[in-house]
Amino acid sequence: MLSFQNTKCECGHQNPIGTVLCENCGKPLEEAEEAGKDTPLEMRYDGIARRSQKSNPGIIDRVWNFFSSVKIAVRLIVITLLAAIVGTIFTQENAFVSFDPSTYYEEKYGWIGKVYYELGLSNTYESWWFIGLLVMIGTSLVICSLDRVLPLYRALSKQQVRKHGEFLSRQKTVYTADIKGDEAAWIGGLAEQLKRKRYRVKTDGTALLAEKNRFSRWGPYINHIGLIIFLLAVLLRSIPGWSMDNYISVPEGEVVQIPDTSYYLKNEKFTVDYYTDEELPEGLKGTARAKLYETKAVLYECTANCDDPSVQPELEEVKRHNIIVNDPLSYKGLKAYQFGFDDTPRLKAVNPVLIDKESGKTYGPFELDMRNPKLIYTLGDYTLELRQKYMDFTLDSSGNPTTKSREPNAPAFIFLLKGADLPAEGVPYMYFPKQNDKERFSQDTINGETGKRFEIKVPSMEGVAFTGAITSLNVRTDYAMPYIWVGAGIFMFGVLIGTYWQHRRIWLRIDEGRLLLGAHTNKNNYGMRADVASALRGIGIDIEPKSLDNGGNKS
Amino acid sequence: MSLLDFSSDAFLVAFFLYCFGFLFYAVAVAGRNWSNRKPEDHLRRWGRIAFIVSVLGFAAHLTFFITRWIGGGHIPTSNMYEFMMFLAMAIMFAFVVVYAIYRKPLLGMFTLPLTVIIVAYASVFPQEVQPLIPALNSYWLRIHVTTAALGEAFFAVGFAAGLMYLLRTVDFKKTDAQSRRDQRWVEFTLYVIVIIVAFIGTVFAFRGVDYKASFIQEIVSIDSKGIESTTTETVEYSMPPIFKPYNSQNIEVQSFLGMKEPLFETPSWMHGVNAARKLNTIVWSILTGSILYGILRLALRRRLGAAINPLMDGIDEEDLDEISYRAIAIGYPIFTLGALIFAMIWAYIAWSRFWGWDPKEVWALITWLYYTAYLHLRLSRGWHGKKSAWLAVIGFVVVMFTLIGVNLVLVGLHSYAGV
Repeated sequence: MLSFQNTKCECGHQNPIGTVLCENCGKPLEEAEEAGKDTPLEMRYDGIARRSQKSNPGIIDRVWNFFSSVKIAVRLIVITLLAAIVGTIFTQENAFVSFDPSTYYEEKYGWIGKVYYELGLSNTYESWWFIGLLVMIGTSLVICSLDRVLPLYRALSKQQVRKHGEFLSRQKTVYTADIKGDEAAWIGGLAEQLKRKRYRVKTDGTALLAEKNRFSRWGPYINHIGLIIFLLAVLLRSIPGWSMDNYISVPEGEVVQIPDTSYYLKNEKFTVDYYTDEELPEGLKGTARAKLYETKAVLYECTANCDDPSVQPELEEVKRHNIIVNDPLSYKGLKAYQFGFDDTPRLKAVNPVLIDKESGKTYGPFELDMRNPKLIYTLGDYTLELRQKYMDFTLDSSGNPTTKSREPNAPAFIFLLKGADLPAEGVPYMYFPKQNDKERFSQDTINGETGKRFEIKVPSMEGVAFTGAITSLNVRTDYAMPYIWVGAGIFMFGVLIGTYWQHRRIWLRIDEGRLLLGAHTNKNNYGMRADVASALRGIGIDIEPKSLDNGGNKS
Repeated sequence: MSLLDFSSDAFLVAFFLYCFGFLFYAVAVAGRNWSNRKPEDHLRRWGRIAFIVSVLGFAAHLTFFITRWIGGGHIPTSNMYEFMMFLAMAIMFAFVVVYAIYRKPLLGMFTLPLTVIIVAYASVFPQEVQPLIPALNSYWLRIHVTTAALGEAFFAVGFAAGLMYLLRTVDFKKTDAQSRRDQRWVEFTLYVIVIIVAFIGTVFAFRGVDYKASFIQEIVSIDSKGIESTTTETVEYSMPPIFKPYNSQNIEVQSFLGMKEPLFETPSWMHGVNAARKLNTIVWSILTGSILYGILRLALRRRLGAAINPLMDGIDEEDLDEISYRAIAIGYPIFTLGALIFAMIWAYIAWSRFWGWDPKEVWALITWLYYTAYLHLRLSRGWHGKKSAWLAVIGFVVVMFTLIGVNLVLVGLHSYAGV
């Protein structure tokens, strides 16, 4: 029946439907009022009609109305909060580098862990419904703000000085008195006091409007804009090309290409420092407490031969930086962070010889580099052709050789041994440079007859080279970051002006010697009363601030 | 005397000043009706004395902080002890700020004991200055931790005012269903506070007599290939074992009141980090807390809430509501800045991502969402007064879980702040 509502105020102003207080004189519109006559007025958004308060809502209006409700917004916040709590019950999947989630949760936490995993809660924050909640909060932010900010802006920019008596007497801060003497002079005196308190004062005959800090009313809308920018920036990050997240391991002294880029990074030196016992307090003495992880890094950009694997790329140094935790290398949006390290020594190269046990002759030595071995080694009468290499040899579940990692933890090589007294197609020979691997994987058994005659072995420690420590770096680009920071900054600015300043207004009118003063603030009625009391004290009326309270002191 | 020793002494001074500050607030409130003066004069006089003593305590606390900073070479906010100490100091600062706005001395009667409890709780943790690990070695340690703690301190003041509001308004004489429910929950809140006090008391009592018990625990674990392996671990207790670790043998159990053997075994399904010791501590705290609560009930001959309620007579409840809201409104931007924005900036520098859903991060977000909901609810009718006060009380529980609970119960990257 809203369409039949009479929204014309007695002052002659035609208000939009849904208006609580006349836009012109502030008189409460009875039809729209729920509470009783004596209670303080509902001053939210200055009693304006919000956009959502339409008479004939269509589908779009209904959706709009749903999202424009603060109650719905609070519910969305609470649901998101509860969902976030659920996600912290057990460790999320993304906290692990490598493990099998399908069995992990059940093994670690029992049946409840299994249920947790099967409900998808082990990936709560990436789930469609959690992201859906965030999108709904974003929508609510936009619609709630638009629904209120424009009508409010309109209402605040064309304020009447002389308001309806009921509007004044039903504010939360009210003062009435009988004025003797010249009314205009009295108002002038009070205006002076209020100006001193940095109020902007307008008068209209025997009515006065004093206002300050109106900007604080825009705080909530500004912070919502900041949040929207922030949320959009978060969404931007999921667009391909906007962010990259790679891990590289660079042994000391080596250059490694950063995947999917034309950049190369060299680890000139990696250092890890521990605190000495003198630096540690009693309880920690003897423990290895890290003090510093540092990679002396050089970043190169490829200038030529970048895509041809057979040619050495030409590199140009672009940046040199000592990467430590809390101080990444940064170049044109690319950042390299100290992530981890591995200083267990690994074989870099060996210098073995080939021994013919029947003749007792040795051939070689030849240099066998673990990572970049040559394909053919010519050793006198014989040649070794490299057929296969495994950096971290193991046998998979069906018994086939495979490699566990790209690090030379258990290197193994399969050569094809060729020579005049051997079959033309050659004989295979498997070689484990490390003695313990040789025994563990029974090199002699594998090589069979060939192994009884030939042997590749390292005659001395000379020529055995180990790699330096490996640093692992997290290389990232995140082009959305500036927008994230801008969004966060705008949010902070909005919150600050919305909470640390309050919009305060004082209206008064004198009708035949009777003063009626009403004051309103959106927050902090305590401060509002103090302002009024202090202004009144300035013109000789001593009054306890608390006595201005019109009841229902709901700040 | 080294600077760090001086620092500890300064802390002791602060601790006693806080205790006296609380005592004087109690005198100010409780004594106003039986002193010779007019109640308002008595309140004003003792309220001022109490405030001055509290501010002196804060000054001593600040001295502790600064000297420890200089002596230790880095800002003392890098482990649980230092952080809780800083939080307590921030609460005192927030109290002074809120006091400067509202001039309500009685706020101190609830803020001071809160500070004392937090400071005492901090002392449960190891107090040595520990050299910084690389991840913490950044000036963001100063900025992020201090700002976040300051925001939380204002929430703490909001909590104190909210609790005061409840103790002031919940009528312990009424017997209708609503009043009884309110009474029960207020009493429960007080009971929990008594348990926390008892926990601290128990820790220091057993530390005082140097109690020790130790066990050797066998832990059977099955790795991903299905191979069973057994490891043994020594578990040290500093309280008599009501619950011993699961599947463990005594190494040494000192006798306590004739108790020579553990009474129960921790259930096998509790297998978090130090689960058995935590369970034992919790059981002890509830036990001693309940005894303490029982003694208080017997001494007062009524519920604690009913005993405190008359003391609050004459305090304007709407002022309390306003103070609680205002403290939270002041704390909210500071908390957002410190616990979320500065945290994101630091995380971006140190961990290469501004947000990673680490439990501590998530709980900071939960705290933020909670107070965001609170601030929005304050806009609507019907969410002032009692409901708002309860929200302020529960909010502080959320804050404390974020600060302590996450480290004790959940695991994550912030583990250096652990026990």
